Amino acid sequence: MKRPLALVPLAALLALPACRKDEAGSALTLAMMPKNKGNPYFVSCRKGAEEAARELGVRLLWDGPTETDPAKQNEVVEAWITRGVDVLAVSVENKEAISTALRRARQKGIKVLTFDADAEPDARDFFVNQATPQGIAHTLMDRAAGLMGGEGQFAIVTASLTAANQNEWIAHIKARLGEKYPRIELVDVRPSDDDRQRAFSETQTLLKVHPKVKLVMAVASPAVPGAAEAVKQSGRTDVRVIGLGLPNACKPYIHDGVVESIVLWNTMDLGYLTVRAGHALATGALAAGADGLDAGRLGRVEVRGDNVLLGTPFTFTRENVDQFDF
Amino acid sequence: MPPERAQPWGNSSHEAVLALIVLGEVVVFSLLGTNFLSLGNAAEVLRAATPVGLLALALTPVIVSGGIDLSVGSLLGFSAVVLGELWRDGGVPLGTAVPLTLALGAAAGALNALLVARLRMPALIVTLGTFSLFRGLAEGLTAGVENYTGFPAGFLRLGQGYLLGAIPTQALVLVAAAALYGVLLHASVAGRALYAIGFSPEGARHAGLPVGRRLALVYVLSGVMAALAGLVYVAYLGQAKADAGTGYELTAITAVVLGGTSIFGGRGTIHGTLLGVAALAVLHNGLRLADLPTEMAGVLTGLLLVAAILARRWLAGERTTT
Repeated sequence: MKRPLALVPLAALLALPACRKDEAGSALTLAMMPKNKGNPYFVSCRKGAEEAARELGVRLLWDGPTETDPAKQNEVVEAWITRGVDVLAVSVENKEAISTALRRARQKGIKVLTFDADAEPDARDFFVNQATPQGIAHTLMDRAAGLMGGEGQFAIVTASLTAANQNEWIAHIKARLGEKYPRIELVDVRPSDDDRQRAFSETQTLLKVHPKVKLVMAVASPAVPGAAEAVKQSGRTDVRVIGLGLPNACKPYIHDGVVESIVLWNTMDLGYLTVRAGHALATGALAAGADGLDAGRLGRVEVRGDNVLLGTPFTFTRENVDQFDF
Repeated sequence: MPPERAQPWGNSSHEAVLALIVLGEVVVFSLLGTNFLSLGNAAEVLRAATPVGLLALALTPVIVSGGIDLSVGSLLGFSAVVLGELWRDGGVPLGTAVPLTLALGAAAGALNALLVARLRMPALIVTLGTFSLFRGLAEGLTAGVENYTGFPAGFLRLGQGYLLGAIPTQALVLVAAAALYGVLLHASVAGRALYAIGFSPEGARHAGLPVGRRLALVYVLSGVMAALAGLVYVAYLGQAKADAGTGYELTAITAVVLGGTSIFGGRGTIHGTLLGVAALAVLHNGLRLADLPTEMAGVLTGLLLVAAILARRWLAGERTTT
């Protein structure tokens, strides 16, 4: 009689308890979901989140889709609602779809945060906002002015001429320029359609049409390496590139010196602040109407309306860029 | 639900083993998970399992007949965006758009049926083609970015609502579909013919069975079910996008095979498929409630599948020796 063989899968399942971590019964449970678990951007968010969780004694659950199925984020949230967590923090992939699930979580008394990408405002308590358009624009313009010695010509390579985000940043850049740097002139704004190749050729044209340009500011992440390659190939060592970009794509150019710096937010700090904000929300230290939040090593951060602000964007330079991998 | 006389076509010992596996999962996750053993969670498992469950039901007679339909996940996505397009951009009221979407599913299924049943092309190749075709149409229609949202509450109730406060609406759809397929496969002349065709298509032809018509029926029905799954999916998420249902065909096939249906045809039951769907759905849900990484679901699904097949072989061997 070989029947006990059928129990093999059962035995496999019964072996599972060994995998379970010990948990402190009373610890606050915070469940955090990235858009995609494998994306290095979120891997570095997780590092910061775990750091804050250790400091605060928060039990951090980290799970999310490993594929692009839009139903997966909802399934995970539904499971967390059933499981019963104290705080949910989600980087939203599909705004409309996830908002339904998040509203249900709020009805069940779970505190809900979004980070990195927001849901519909009534579906969460606070959004941990990594960067305001004004913050990005001011950081970029101040950096540019410093490099240019406060005078001369520069040009912008944008995503497309109709891109809403970029146009908002450019408006703030122009405002900063008019206000603080009268001797600097913005001579051209060229589109790249979020394409590295297009940014490359537009920058080549730019350098020919405006030979006096001292700095190219690329405000879309694929445009930074594209513009940098064009400047590098032109052999013009007097032209510098800065922009809003991702560290990995820009690393070689930063080490070459073609790209002086790129501006983005510190993803580790974003994860750190999200857990800090979640803890504050659950313990009542953060509530509607607050104007600030004590966020551990980040100091006191500003809360504007229902947004928790990460603060000034982070500048990646030759000195620190190798610490980041995304 | 299926009567005793269905047993010659299935393998009741296999289903008993599978039922034990599901029970084992429930026991383990009750111990490991937080709030696993609750009515509310049972409802969530049903809710999450419905789209794949509908596809698995549709695939059971297809696989029993010796065929395969790889296009169901893509057709789910295509149906979802067509519904969105008709309703939002075409101004068609949902009362009309829903039947139109189901008709589209039937038409898409008829295309598979034409190629497989009439032109006798291999189902694997035909549906591999329509797998790309339907997904491509969905992406083309929406340029890959369009996301239809804002469906009226009455429609969303199909995927988000509860009956009597506890039963998810879509569970009724699943139960109704299971009953229909149970009758088709286990209590109808057409169902018996499908088993015969699965065992030996040529034999079935020589025996005078209308092989083409029977095959056409299951492929057309499969298309309708994929469209129905699309409707439920859209109502559940409240959005219709071209990537809806990506990869669902493989999960559904896994559930069917896990449920004891032979991939070579001729054997399989609807209740086996339902157990297969349950085994996968409980596994995914339980892992999350136990705070275990969901990647484990892939590993455990593989183990379950291999174990189930080994168990079937062993049971079949035992039966012939005793």
